[in-house]
Amino acid sequence: MSFQEQERALFDLLFDSSVRENFCKDSTTALHQYELNEEERNDFNTIRPDALELDAKIRADLLLSHFCRSFPVSFSILSSIDGGLDVLKSLVDVLTMRTASIERATLFGRRIGESLNALAFTSADEQTKVSAILEAELGMAWTSATLKREVLDNGQLHNKSTQLDKSWSSKNIKLAPYVCAAMIPESYEKLKQSFCPDAECDLWRSLNKKPLAASIRKKLLEKDDPRLFIARAHVSHLSQCEPTIDQKTAELSEGFASLFQHVNGTVSVDYILEQLKKIGAQDEMLQSIKATFQQLLESDMLEQV
Amino acid sequence: MSNHLEELPTLGVGASLSLSSEPDPVSLVRAKGGPSFVEYSGLVDVDEVIDEVEKIRAAGAPVLFHPSYINFCGSYPNSNAWLEATSKHIESVGSSWFAQDVAYCFWEEGPGYSTQLGYFIPLIFNQRSLELAVERVKEVQAKVAVPVAVEPPPVTFITGSMPLFSFFGSLANQTDCAILLDMGHLVSYEMASGRSVLEAIAELPVERVIEIHIAGGRLKDGDAGPIYVDAHECEIVEQTWQMLEAMLPRLPNVKAVCYECEGVNESSVLATLKRIRKIVREKSNCEALVATLDKEA
Repeated sequence: MSFQEQERALFDLLFDSSVRENFCKDSTTALHQYELNEEERNDFNTIRPDALELDAKIRADLLLSHFCRSFPVSFSILSSIDGGLDVLKSLVDVLTMRTASIERATLFGRRIGESLNALAFTSADEQTKVSAILEAELGMAWTSATLKREVLDNGQLHNKSTQLDKSWSSKNIKLAPYVCAAMIPESYEKLKQSFCPDAECDLWRSLNKKPLAASIRKKLLEKDDPRLFIARAHVSHLSQCEPTIDQKTAELSEGFASLFQHVNGTVSVDYILEQLKKIGAQDEMLQSIKATFQQLLESDMLEQV
Repeated sequence: MSNHLEELPTLGVGASLSLSSEPDPVSLVRAKGGPSFVEYSGLVDVDEVIDEVEKIRAAGAPVLFHPSYINFCGSYPNSNAWLEATSKHIESVGSSWFAQDVAYCFWEEGPGYSTQLGYFIPLIFNQRSLELAVERVKEVQAKVAVPVAVEPPPVTFITGSMPLFSFFGSLANQTDCAILLDMGHLVSYEMASGRSVLEAIAELPVERVIEIHIAGGRLKDGDAGPIYVDAHECEIVEQTWQMLEAMLPRLPNVKAVCYECEGVNESSVLATLKRIRKIVREKSNCEALVATLDKEA
């Protein structure tokens, strides 16, 4: 069992900054929390503290580069806030790293969300917008992880091919599996173009060298063109080891968001249209809404119950 | 040495490249003075890389698959699905052997690429760790049809007091596997441990060393001296060149010398391959290896 304790200690030295700091000050005391005999403890005497610190720093940097790909806009925004980069760095810890690798990005995103209150935003409105953007990115991370887990646990997925019959609008509808939706302050593509001008693989490195200016963040987030952002995770490469998951996205006008609240499996498109007609919606608008629902069903963002 | 190692083909001086980025492997293979084989660290699923690999083979270079997702050490076993996919991959691309660093690529129950840990977590150098490494290597050997070669990984620090060549010599002998030595990794070990690898060369079954790696790196100033950081896009540091010159004459059965040069521009790769060939010609005692240089010339 002691070798496993040695492995646990090694892992903590790399990912737990307090264990590492204590170890660098006094290795014997720091290792007392592990069930190691003297010989096993002595194995750690060969560690150069300066090299351990460097290793942990390089490792965290590489991991942040990895997480940054799941949360590009959120990372860019946080880089522009005092202490934002430090928050991100602090989240590469044992709690994150002991989480199963598939769920790690989701946990990381949740923890970013929990950290937002501690950061100084220009206004409550700005913080709300940042939370909304994070929610969209977190939603994609979560559906990707869920789908990946499903593929690894159950193998080949049998996707229903959506062919709508003539009576499609009379059937109750709901969000399809692996779909997330969030209201965001602007088109996600535009947000990415504005906040992440560098290629995503280099984004963390570039933000670290040159964080986004707070003035740019403020200016970009002042724009208000809210969208209902919908994303569906899908398997782009099936594998028993490492399936690749991508996202198909759609964006709808702000007004559609209120209709979406009813898309929970209990009502049909016809029912929604009927209610809208009762409150005076014009035929042209109703046709447009119906066409949008049809597109969402055909693109598997929604499904019939 | 086991027959299965003696009978391996001699591949000459090659390059380790990324299939999806510069420099372009096919262009390099076709260039005068280009690599005589290409090694790549691809995805586990062969269908994701086979088109690129076929282009390299069609250009005349054999390939070696050198991934970073196998646990060759530690108490966390490799998953059957990953081992089976590896076996299929090796067979499909015709990799003559299968080498990888002996380090942690994944932790606990989460098989995956070493990038999920940032990069490899270094192994622990002690007896129990050696026993587990034997288990891990045998686990891979049971699934993979070609000889396995174990590689000492790059290290910034050392845990455990068993000397590098004692660990790897014993691992190779107990599992009847081959050894890959990366010159930069040996330099990193010397800096991290304060020990000379050459002084302990008697511990290493040198006849099992079938492949050599040489790659760029960076030296960082630490409180207790320089720290070697593996960085293939950088220039090869002087200590690494010296290690190559010192090790080559001691290794009688080298089949392949590989310059790991992902991210390096084509002209620099060709210039470095030329320098490596010159050193191999001057320092290596492997007739078959030197003979490949004559063919390439």
